[in-house]
Amino acid sequence: MATRREFLQLGAVTAVAGFAGAPALTAARELRFKGNKGFSPKTGEERKAIPSACWQCVTRCPFVGYVENQRLVSIGPQMNSIRTEGHLCAKGQAGVNQVYDPDRILYPLKRVGKRGEGQWKRVSWNEALTEVAARLEKLRDDGHPEKFMFHYGRMKASASKLIKSVFLATYGTKTIGNHTSICEGGKWTAQELTWGSHYDNWDIDNTRFVLNFGSNCLEAHTNHTPIAERLARALVDRDVRMVTFDVRLSNTAAKSTRWVPIKPGTDLAVVLAMCNVVMEEDLYRGEGENFLEFCKVTAHPDATVAEKVAVLKSHFAQYTPEWAEKISGVSADTIRSVAVEFATSKPACLLSYRGAVAHENGNDTERAVQTLAAITGNIDNPGGRCKAVGASWKYPHGPKDKPKAKKLKILDGFKGEAAFPTHHMSHHVLKMIKDGRAGRPDVYMWYCYEPVYANGAVSENIEVLKDESLIPYSVCVSPFYSESAALADLILPDATYLERWDWEDMVSPSQVAEYYLRQPMVAPLGEVRDFGDVCCELAERMGFPLGFNSKEEFVRESCEMTPGVKDVGGFEYMKAQGVWHDPKAKPKYYSYRKHVKLEALAGDGVILDDATGTYWNWHKSKAKSEEEAKKKGYAHTKNAYKGYVGQQIGTSTYSGFKPDKVNKSGYFEIYSSLMEEKGFPPLPTYTAVPSHETMRSNELILTTYKVNVQSHSRTQNCKWLTEIYHNNPGWINPETAAVLGIAEGDTIRVTSAIGEMETTAKVTPAVIPGIISVSHHCGHWEYGRYASGNKSPMASDDDPDLKRKWWVRNGVHPNWIIPNNPDPVNGQHCWMDTVVTVAKV
Amino acid sequence: MKDQTDISGVSERREFLKGALAGAGTAVAAVSIPKAARGAESGTKTRYGMLIDVRRCIGCQACSVACKAEFDVPLGKTRSWVEYVEKGEYPNVSRSFLPRLCNHCEQPDCVDVCPTGATFKRDEDGIVVVDPDICIGCKYCIQACPYDVRFINPITGTADKCDFCLHRVSQGLVPACVESCIGDARIFGDLNDSHSEISKRLATNPVSVLRPGMGTEPNVYYIAADHADESDREKGQHVRVTTHREQEARR
Amino acid sequence: MVAEIYWGLPVIFYLFLAGLGAGALTVSAYVYLRGNGGAFGEDHVTVARYGAFLAPIPVIFGCWLLIFELGSFQVGDWFKWINLYLVINLSPMSIGTWLLTLFIGTSLVYACTFVPFMPMLGLNREGLKRALAWVNVPLGISVAVYTGVLLGAMAARPFWNTPLVALLFLLSSLSTGTALILFARAMLPGKGADAAAKKGFHHSNYLLTFSDTLLIGFEIVAIFLFLIFAYLTVGDVRHAISVIMLGGSLAVPFWIGVVAIGLILPALAELYYVVPKLVYHREFAVPRSIELIVPAAVIVGGFMLRYVVVIAGQITGPIGI
Repeated sequence: MATRREFLQLGAVTAVAGFAGAPALTAARELRFKGNKGFSPKTGEERKAIPSACWQCVTRCPFVGYVENQRLVSIGPQMNSIRTEGHLCAKGQAGVNQVYDPDRILYPLKRVGKRGEGQWKRVSWNEALTEVAARLEKLRDDGHPEKFMFHYGRMKASASKLIKSVFLATYGTKTIGNHTSICEGGKWTAQELTWGSHYDNWDIDNTRFVLNFGSNCLEAHTNHTPIAERLARALVDRDVRMVTFDVRLSNTAAKSTRWVPIKPGTDLAVVLAMCNVVMEEDLYRGEGENFLEFCKVTAHPDATVAEKVAVLKSHFAQYTPEWAEKISGVSADTIRSVAVEFATSKPACLLSYRGAVAHENGNDTERAVQTLAAITGNIDNPGGRCKAVGASWKYPHGPKDKPKAKKLKILDGFKGEAAFPTHHMSHHVLKMIKDGRAGRPDVYMWYCYEPVYANGAVSENIEVLKDESLIPYSVCVSPFYSESAALADLILPDATYLERWDWEDMVSPSQVAEYYLRQPMVAPLGEVRDFGDVCCELAERMGFPLGFNSKEEFVRESCEMTPGVKDVGGFEYMKAQGVWHDPKAKPKYYSYRKHVKLEALAGDGVILDDATGTYWNWHKSKAKSEEEAKKKGYAHTKNAYKGYVGQQIGTSTYSGFKPDKVNKSGYFEIYSSLMEEKGFPPLPTYTAVPSHETMRSNELILTTYKVNVQSHSRTQNCKWLTEIYHNNPGWINPETAAVLGIAEGDTIRVTSAIGEMETTAKVTPAVIPGIISVSHHCGHWEYGRYASGNKSPMASDDDPDLKRKWWVRNGVHPNWIIPNNPDPVNGQHCWMDTVVTVAKV
Repeated sequence: MKDQTDISGVSERREFLKGALAGAGTAVAAVSIPKAARGAESGTKTRYGMLIDVRRCIGCQACSVACKAEFDVPLGKTRSWVEYVEKGEYPNVSRSFLPRLCNHCEQPDCVDVCPTGATFKRDEDGIVVVDPDICIGCKYCIQACPYDVRFINPITGTADKCDFCLHRVSQGLVPACVESCIGDARIFGDLNDSHSEISKRLATNPVSVLRPGMGTEPNVYYIAADHADESDREKGQHVRVTTHREQEARR
Repeated sequence: MVAEIYWGLPVIFYLFLAGLGAGALTVSAYVYLRGNGGAFGEDHVTVARYGAFLAPIPVIFGCWLLIFELGSFQVGDWFKWINLYLVINLSPMSIGTWLLTLFIGTSLVYACTFVPFMPMLGLNREGLKRALAWVNVPLGISVAVYTGVLLGAMAARPFWNTPLVALLFLLSSLSTGTALILFARAMLPGKGADAAAKKGFHHSNYLLTFSDTLLIGFEIVAIFLFLIFAYLTVGDVRHAISVIMLGGSLAVPFWIGVVAIGLILPALAELYYVVPKLVYHREFAVPRSIELIVPAAVIVGGFMLRYVVVIAGQITGPIGI
């Protein structure tokens, strides 16, 4: 096995100082080191400190909660976390508000009267679960378990394993929806097409330059605080320069060395032009050229590096900076100088997110971004764009004899809508149900998900969810009375994340895995129950006990069976400490350069696919025989990627870039045969956003964004956050406002093809002309009094702050007028493409 | 163990005042506050201060919420907040952040105007505190503070403000806003100790304080603070200050 | 600009009422001390009596308003204001508290000495009255001045941070105090209606009115100085003063309420009646309606002055950060 050290001896990279070893504590952190303690300001008594993990956003930071008289009073950073290095954002700290939101649902509620009328009666858990179990049992016994659709928004780590991999798998439905396509699923698909399993970790700690396309990572990100705290440090302590391309001066753009305003949907042109500069000016030489050995750049897997360079030079020749300037509005000089700085700063880190990829051309934007990082040698290296490293927990898998699960084909949109919907098309699920041709669920249950609020085309979502002929029975699992919950037949009150157990595994930006635990801060309020526990009971009621009786038991067993965690003391250790990482572990880089052992290549069922040079085990695919496997080949055998073993490159076989979800080779695929077969250009290629090509002069592009104190839809009930951010006027550049006759504070009407909304204008130079930018987060019409002003059924009045709520406006929700358009390659929701007209009311 | 209220440093004073009230023979008895009552005398005096490196502040509001939670500050009131300052003309625009809190001034006008002695600057560490048991809520200190950091707590009816998390600092912790700061932008420490991190950084960086013309001599310092204000608009420059408070305008 | 007004109407009324009472007491005590030897003649005791009876009422009512406005009182700590008496420090409010307490005490006893049937517990009524009058002149002036010093003590409030506010409040107190006595005398002219008494009454009114005219004149000078110095100063003060200048949010209440109603019009009206006597030694004769309206306008103007100053100080502040 080639270790990183051996690799370095090969001389393939120039020395990069300071990346080895565990993350060092900064001086500032040493100043804060005596943390993980809390005291009452009133009595001076020490508060009980309980380590746990956040859930306000998907970053799921470890934290320490402080409890006084059985009441959670505050949440602070976990000083021993290597991911957050002892930092916690505003949202995390405001988690206290989730528990004590006076509008929480504390008891199972059953609809009385018409669906959506808002009439509820309190029922017992026994009554609720008897009803649910009866319906599910009937579906299963009728041979249609797939008619039970389970749709989740955020379900991670132990919750995902228990609910999806154990409970739903044992029940037998695979009609399981997620929400990734309205998040950044397209980015993940593009990564799966290039480097296999998704998620790019940005190694900020070791980088010398940061180039950012459309990520607001200092405000919101799937790894927000770990990235933000490192970036803030890098920018000042190491004078790392950062250039951000964004349509809006986000806080990230504001903190960057330079903000480059760019027209929405044209990041692809700029990235391609940067690739052009790198190839034209021979800036790929060195690390980039070395990395090309691991890249697929032509249809032929065995092309030489020189041939690859020639192909790239030829392909990118068309994308000159001057060409890109015309499209993007970014000057050719800027493109050239930033490209040169990026390519010559070693190492440099390339960031991309929804601002760049949530467009109809988003798939190739992300592929182009991957390419730019690849040809400059900034892939999976210290300081570059790295393969994600997270905890690998072991867990009890439940009953052995699981049925062959069935599913309704309503998860991936209409046939042919997207070529590779590897993260599904959740924003089309309700549309598919309305259509009905692919079948409809009899029971539609959603968990930690807001189908009404979070998807585009809100009116249609409401229409479908309200229609009992389309969805006969709906169950909402939620701690809060959301817009979606209001349309359910039954609401099962879930525990908040501060009242439940979980193990967690989110990506570590230090490239060393962190294992961490979530545990209850307080006993669940009212009769709320963690849905994991409810699944255990439902399974028991339906005659397939899972082998553990609660999430706590599941988590405990996981702790006792996971290597490393069990060795330091398992569950009890994790309860006391909250976090664990292997102190001897070295940061993981260059994972693709591992040599595959000969024994592995000689294993049963392992064959070499000549067309791709990929070794794979056909047993793990859907192939019935070796002959069939060989005949169809790796690329065309269903689930062949699951049998991936290694990639032959020259005379060696490397672990390569392991595929996930698609039968990509082990190469880093700049050239994608899979794309080609579906009729798309195999190399990253410019296409304009179609709707932007036909815009009239009075039309603007509507883009959305997130702010630092709110998550997309589930934090607005947190009074401390909503007090800071509760209104979202539309940002308009003064130049555009002048043309439209709009002044600061004017009421404006924003009209799209599917609807209109009224908001106020914020005339600001912090946004590019020609667009209107409206944040998510606001405009709730349920979710309790702090979020919307509306009281939830059976809510309490025991929060004295209710009468001190001083803000009247709750903002607007742009999703009412944003249609659910999917990216044709990956199905990603094209959030940033909506064309609107804006007029003063 | 010491009386638990000792951590706020006000108990002795409180007892003294109660004694004066109980024994209230004449008003003269309470005419002057003995120096000892202002805090235990100790050898070397600490002078706590804070340095906020605005270059590292990402405007994330972690400090604002940390403070809300630490003291369960009622809605509408703020001990600690972050202002956004946006200025310039497209495309030359900037947004910078200005975290705000009590400056724990060397010359605190709020202390000078307090008619009951409820607010005072602690001799032992320079923290300006309010004793809610004494404060009557006359709002004079609120008027006197040039930084708008004081408010009437609607629960106690008394003046309230940042106290540098005295209850934490006295236990060896840093203030809650410092602990959670994502950018490590806040350095808290003893200005009288030349070896403290804050002293070192103050010595080696250009720093500023807010409204130095007020003569209050703040102990909260800033590196790279943008002192632009909406009043600069009169000069034709676009400046937008967002306070993120119920009090929308910077006072 | 929306600014939180921490000191609202109760405090404004208090500052006005305290000044009114202080002014009335000062005038009463002064007139009494001038006594027979002064220009007031026999009527001096009558004038002094009006002032003595009136003075404590607005002050006590104002103090009650002030207590009502306290944050502690509003959350149900009814007696926490007693903490004010635990300390004397250099806070203008602390000094003011003691002054007011003293004022209420001496003004009440002083008023009692004017009540014929009030037992004097063996004390010499006239001696006591005279002694209290000696105390009450400086005390009244002190209370009037303190209301201005209270506002003026803070650098954070550039509008207030000038000694002219205290001077203005003092002048306004004396003027409104005089007007209060004139108003009361017009409303309740008393019984003795013989010719001599009438003459005395008119003569006293003339003197009071003339004094008031002078005070208003000084006030106008003080306001002029206040404006001109602020206007000529670069920075916070000029910025602050802009709220009462033309186009400012308080321009109307200031120029109409304070200057026109409270100063110019009463001064003109008073001059109209005072000048004939002053210059030509004609009879001082004022229609009863004018006797009522002019002092009323002065009193309203005095209130408007407190209103404008207190609000303006709070909606302005140091510029820049």
